[in-house]
Amino acid sequence: MNAVSILQTVLVFVGIPAAVVVVITGLVYARSSRPGKRYRPGRPFDFTPVWFLSAPEPMSGVDGRAALPGARRAELTAGETAADSAVAAHGDTGGASDRW
Amino acid sequence: MTAGDSAGAPAVLDGPFTTRQLLRLDDALRLADQSTGLVFSVYVGDLDNPARGDAEKLHSQLADPDRSVLVAVSPNQRVLEIVTGAEARKRLPDRDCKLAALSMAASFSGGDLTGGIVSGLAQLADHAGRP
Repeated sequence: MNAVSILQTVLVFVGIPAAVVVVITGLVYARSSRPGKRYRPGRPFDFTPVWFLSAPEPMSGVDGRAALPGARRAELTAGETAADSAVAAHGDTGGASDRW
Repeated sequence: MTAGDSAGAPAVLDGPFTTRQLLRLDDALRLADQSTGLVFSVYVGDLDNPARGDAEKLHSQLADPDRSVLVAVSPNQRVLEIVTGAEARKRLPDRDCKLAALSMAASFSGGDLTGGIVSGLAQLADHAGRP
């Protein structure tokens, strides 16, 4: 029998493992294609602020979905324009605070 | 921040949550509103100093502040504020709010914003009971 050439040996024992490594590495990095979306306490977290109210009625169809942004609009615009207006009397608000 | 425009959906998707998380939040908010008759609202974003004052300012801009409960979360400042209106406060004493805040902060310190907000809302709604 003619022995396999050095080139074939290298291909089988180096080329194939290398190809496997490359494929697996590619898969790993393809999965985390959206870096920085995850919140980690203590690290800066970039995002646009959001303010949610619940939908006025249960979202049963397109109508409910369309109503959602409308319900948010007043609060969202108010947050920018009326930010410096006199704060209404809120002496009797309650609640709690916490840090982490 | 023009989430009210027709191009509102992408603006919301730039926020801290994925679509799946947004759906969970929406469910939690709707459930809390329906079961208590109060108006719950969630703000996630930076708060000006002092955070308490800023959260109260946001709360006063809601449609019906007296019956509203605002949960304001600032991930970067690592601050959480729960503001209850005059009417809501009778149903949700500050002690119950503090309990919910503690469990929310525990989730947040583990990096789980959505889970913390969802469980906090459920807890608040639970304490407030039925109307």
